Amino acid sequence: MLIVIGAVVAVVTTAIAIFIPWLPAQASVQRERIDFVFWLTTWISVAIFAIVAAVIIYCVFKFRVRPDDDSDGEPIHGHTGLEIAWTAVPAILVLVIGIASAVAVARNERIGPDPLRIDVTAVQFAWRFDYPNGVTSPTLRLPVDRTVLLRLTSNDVIHSFWVPEFGQKQDAVPGIFTSLVITPSKVGRYPLPCTELCGLGHALMRSAAIVMPNDEYESWLATAQDERTGVPPPDDEPEDEGEEEPEGDQEGQQDDPEDEGEESAEAGAALFAENGCGNCHTFAPAGAKATVGPNLGDLPDDEDYVRQSIVEPGAQLAKGYQNIMPPYSQLSDEQLDSLVQYLLRGSK
Amino acid sequence: MTAHAPAVDVHHGEHHGPPPAHQSSRVSAPVLGMFLFIASEVMLFGSFFTAYFFVRVVNPDAPGWPPEGFHVPVFVAGVNTAILVTSSFTMHWALQSIKRGNRAGLQAGLVLTLAMGLTFLLTQMLEYARVGFAPRDTAFGSVFYGLTGLHGAHVFVGLTLLTVATVRAFRGHFSPEHHHGVEIPGIYWHFVDVMWIVVYATIYLL
Amino acid sequence: MSTTIEQQHDLHATPAPRPRGTRARLLAPGWLRALWMTPLFLGIGLALVLGIRALAGWDPIWYWQPVLTVAFLTTAPLGFLAGIGCFDYWARYAVGTPTQPEDHSGHGAHSWRDYFRVNTDHKVIGTQYVVTTIFFLLAGGLLAMFVRAELARPGTQFFDPQAYNSLFSVHASLMIFLFIIPAFAGLANFVIPLMLGAPDMAFPRLNALSFWMLPIGGVIMLSSLIVGGFGAGWTGYAPLSTRGDPGSLFFQMGVQWAGASSIATALNFLVTIITMRAPGMTFWRMPLLVWANFTTSLLVVVATPFIAGSQFFAMFDRVLGTDFFTPDQGGYVLAYQHIFWFYSHPAVYIMMLPGFGIASEVISVMARKPIFGYRLMALSLMAILFLGFSVWAHHMFVSGMAGYLRVPMMITTLLIAVPTGIKVFSWLATLWEGKLHFTTPMLFALGFVSMFVIGGLSGIFLGALPIVIHTSDTYFVVAHIHYVLFGGSLFTIFAGIYYWFPKMTGRMYDERMGKLHFWLTFVGFNATFFPMHIIGVQGMQRRIADYAPEFANWNFFISVASFALGASTLIFLYNMITSWARGPRAEANPWRALTLEWQVSSPPPVFNFDEIPQVVGNPYEYGVPGARHAVLNGDRAAVEEEVRVH
Ligand code: HEA
Ligand code: HEA
Ligand code: HEC
Ligand code: CUA
Ligand SMILES: [Cu+2]
Repeated sequence: MLIVIGAVVAVVTTAIAIFIPWLPAQASVQRERIDFVFWLTTWISVAIFAIVAAVIIYCVFKFRVRPDDDSDGEPIHGHTGLEIAWTAVPAILVLVIGIASAVAVARNERIGPDPLRIDVTAVQFAWRFDYPNGVTSPTLRLPVDRTVLLRLTSNDVIHSFWVPEFGQKQDAVPGIFTSLVITPSKVGRYPLPCTELCGLGHALMRSAAIVMPNDEYESWLATAQDERTGVPPPDDEPEDEGEEEPEGDQEGQQDDPEDEGEESAEAGAALFAENGCGNCHTFAPAGAKATVGPNLGDLPDDEDYVRQSIVEPGAQLAKGYQNIMPPYSQLSDEQLDSLVQYLLRGSK
Repeated sequence: MTAHAPAVDVHHGEHHGPPPAHQSSRVSAPVLGMFLFIASEVMLFGSFFTAYFFVRVVNPDAPGWPPEGFHVPVFVAGVNTAILVTSSFTMHWALQSIKRGNRAGLQAGLVLTLAMGLTFLLTQMLEYARVGFAPRDTAFGSVFYGLTGLHGAHVFVGLTLLTVATVRAFRGHFSPEHHHGVEIPGIYWHFVDVMWIVVYATIYLL
Repeated sequence: MSTTIEQQHDLHATPAPRPRGTRARLLAPGWLRALWMTPLFLGIGLALVLGIRALAGWDPIWYWQPVLTVAFLTTAPLGFLAGIGCFDYWARYAVGTPTQPEDHSGHGAHSWRDYFRVNTDHKVIGTQYVVTTIFFLLAGGLLAMFVRAELARPGTQFFDPQAYNSLFSVHASLMIFLFIIPAFAGLANFVIPLMLGAPDMAFPRLNALSFWMLPIGGVIMLSSLIVGGFGAGWTGYAPLSTRGDPGSLFFQMGVQWAGASSIATALNFLVTIITMRAPGMTFWRMPLLVWANFTTSLLVVVATPFIAGSQFFAMFDRVLGTDFFTPDQGGYVLAYQHIFWFYSHPAVYIMMLPGFGIASEVISVMARKPIFGYRLMALSLMAILFLGFSVWAHHMFVSGMAGYLRVPMMITTLLIAVPTGIKVFSWLATLWEGKLHFTTPMLFALGFVSMFVIGGLSGIFLGALPIVIHTSDTYFVVAHIHYVLFGGSLFTIFAGIYYWFPKMTGRMYDERMGKLHFWLTFVGFNATFFPMHIIGVQGMQRRIADYAPEFANWNFFISVASFALGASTLIFLYNMITSWARGPRAEANPWRALTLEWQVSSPPPVFNFDEIPQVVGNPYEYGVPGARHAVLNGDRAAVEEEVRVH
């Protein structure tokens, strides 16, 4: 009877473990090891829970008494053998988990001979990725199958870098540098949320990690470097990679500028999307509806003011709003121009 | 079913109190309480020392201790340390006096201790005024003021307790049998004293 | 509520004489005096701040941050405490005027009004604690309902991000600092002196002070919502908490008040347990609830100062402009987390060990069997205590702390499963071959065992490094939190409240409503919190007001379930209020328990025992023929008999 109940509980929990899609798609070498430890721990947990639940359920049915039964149970005070067993067995099980974990982490942190090094800087509420050749991007672009070493820091408060498909996470802490190793194994576009509470815009501090075939990555890097002072990086729709549709990713939705216009307008729209302005502002032409900052549809027709508002937001605060907008001083003059034009054209 | 024999009213008449509790330990409750409180205080200092440890040792780009351009008055604080250590002895003397029934000794000891404690506190304040940096001047300043300030607050509390003991001593309280009211502030005072030696050593000397 | 001791017992204490005349009334301890003393102290605080600023020549003289901190959050509450009468005895002692240790007018409750006064009776204080904390449970729960309302759909509906951040921050702070921790302290306050055979706590006046500091902390945290709340989470990580919203000051000071309260209580428990046990009550004869609170109190006394420290630093950084956490001034950001978690990890055991104690009491009595492996149960509490101090960095696995700390901390973290497992398996063995009575407390105790195992196992996931790197700061953690805190602590608190309800009020609660409450809570709880594991692993971060659309369905489901869960609390509330007002009279010992609190009447006499009992055996000897735990009330012959036999 006890064993039957135990088996039933085990089957049910196993079914939950197997049939519910627990882990997101796997897109890095590190995730494989993480998943291994995850499932190891899951099976141990299923077994333990099945035992506990089975004993409770069995006792509930077997040993319940009628309310008028005032007798006492058998006075059993203990059993040394049992007590040793249930001390030793869990100890062994957790040590197994511990050793597997230690090995997995040690392997996950190997950087190999020639990692790609990228500097990551977090600000409220945006990410910035600096490539070795001087290219700067608000999204993370990686070549597939090459180990990268991220060096993270923050300019204001603590943020945290995470890509669920990579399984790797690391806080970006002001004042120190932290590091993270990733070896992407699958081409595609993945969400890159900030996971450490960092203020009002925390929920909206989302970027994307785009894994590209090696040649595509190289050509992106080269164009981006050439045009660093001019046009922004090309639009990042993963048309050719194809396999991964952008999922649940804000920027994915905002990528298409509704406003069909000249080149600089397109550039402005792209910049607006790339920099996550829509995370905080309402702006009809971009389809942005956030209300952390003022509605950019009502901007005064004053180019200098708008420009200053972007580069140095604290200088003149819009009434009723706090000084939380990150300064976008990394934008080049040309980029700023097209962004300002785009905003002003979209305003009434 | 009821194991309870209905409350028997054993004490009629005058007695209104509870039955005296059984004393199940040789330590008396107030003394044990004070020791536990001190354990808790030690941990509070511990948290400040942890901050010190992080700022001075762990921080990879710590700028030295004290950083360039900052000076801590090691000598003045050293004299202050001597004063505070002496006050521990006078405190001990006060307690020993009342244990022997010597009220004058108790009073003199307490007054001396109070005076030295006050001197310490005033010197500390003067030091603050002259030291040339403020809590807002780098993490070094924050930690310096944090630890010495926390200690100063404890000296203040200690002095308050001692004042209470002194007032009572002059009002004729305490006896060779009953002197918890001196003993317990005394324990606290020794703690404040020992803590200062640690603070002095880590902030000024090391 | 209509029950007072008067109706059941002849009194040993006379009620306080009513003060006559306006002057006397204004000077007598109580709400009236608090009404004028609070503003008086507020003024003193203001003068202090402004005076110092003027003397030091700081500009501007009126600067709201120190004014708020010192005058509103420190001296005004002190004025309230002084007014309500917490310091009267000590003030008299300090100036050397006669004190009246023989005056027991502040002891025992003669009418419901006495629950609103400074009272030194541990039973009154225990009840005050429990009622106050239930209020904060409702307040915190209401905020959780708002959280779930906002999260029902993606996007922003009811609250802007600042309001949302405040909602869950205040929710968690209230639940942790003003519900779970003090609710356990309240139950223990009522029960421990009785269980030990002591007339009261060691320091009754300190006990009263601890209680009255609690509502102050709670009011401070709640009133932060008026100024826009604090939005840095209950962990208040610097440097987020040292900038931006002014509400953080409320959190920082609220924690100080609640923390001071719990240190004072813990110290009181420790001294009581060490020095006031009845004759014959050795450590190995103490009920496990006493053991649990003994270990918890050790944790509190040693660990709580660390959170005080961390909050002081964060507050100084903001108010005095210090640089503890300013990196470019030599500060070190991660220091905050180390100091905070050095308290707050032990704090999670502060929030669980007393629950283990309650579960042990309930399971043993309701299964009519001795606790299986009593000594190992007590020792495993100690083991958790010691291990608990060596694992704090498991909250910082992705924080960028020193790498070499990770594997050792992971191993100690995982090892905590061993003593905890001993407890779980011992409870199961206690059930085995027992005579199980499924009363409401027993249901909650069994619900606790099963749900806590789920929460503990998800803790093992979080303790395993590779997994936590993936799941940290996601809803998987939120699921863990609620399985251990709701399924663990809250279930045991419910069990404890139902179990001791007859003792505390002298009335019996409604058993059918109690069972309904259990089943609704059990189902609603699992429906609310289990899916959080899934969305967490899949990629939903915690502390976000808005989430990616792919999680919309699960979140909608969770929100609906959580409203049902909230509604189930209303049944509990209804049951408690109506039963207290007009439930049937409770017997002295409705559960036929052996521990001492059940050997006196319900509610107990003002001074607990007419004569200190003589303890002659272990507390859980159910089924052992003729076994007794203690002998009461001059049953001298029996005492001598027992002492001779054992
Ligand atoms: C009552 C409170 C409570 C309790 C008891 C616990 C118990 C445990 N917790 Fe939990 N924890 C919290 C409250 C609690 N926790 C809170 C509030 C947070 C979030 C804080 C925040 O960031 O806001 C948190 C976060 C938290 C983290 C950090 C996650 C993160 O933010 O990245 C970790 C990581 O290690 C962790 C681990 C554990 C472990 C290993 C236990 C263990 O003690 C559990 C042990 C129990 C069992 C394992 C079950 C019974 C055992 C058996 C049946 C034996 C057999 C078992 C095995 C062989 C595995 N907890
Ligand atoms: C003991 C602790 C405890 C308890 C009991 C609860 C109870 C609940 N919690 Fe909470 N929770 C925490 C401790 C707790 N929580 C902590 C520590 C965090 C982390 C915070 C952080 O990240 O900083 C958290 C975070 C947290 C989140 C994550 C927020 C986020 O990360 O964005 C959510 C989201 O669903 C949530 C939901 C709930 C719900 C639905 C309940 C329900 O169980 C509540 C049930 C409702 C009631 C019990 C009351 C019912 C009352 C009424 C219906 C109204 C009547 C009242 C009046 C008229 C006054 N909690
Ligand atoms: C984290 C949220 C956030 C992000 C991201 C953000 N802003 Fe803002 N923005 C604000 C807030 C809040 C204000 C109002 C306070 C102020 O004036 O600084 C503001 C103000 C402005 C103003 C002035 C508006 C007025 O009515 O005075 C402009 C223009 C502006 N933002 C443009 C942008 C652009 C362009 C981007 C992207 C490159 C951007 N913002 C990104 C929050 C944000
Ligand atoms: Cu950045 Cu959250
Ligand atoms: Cu922990």
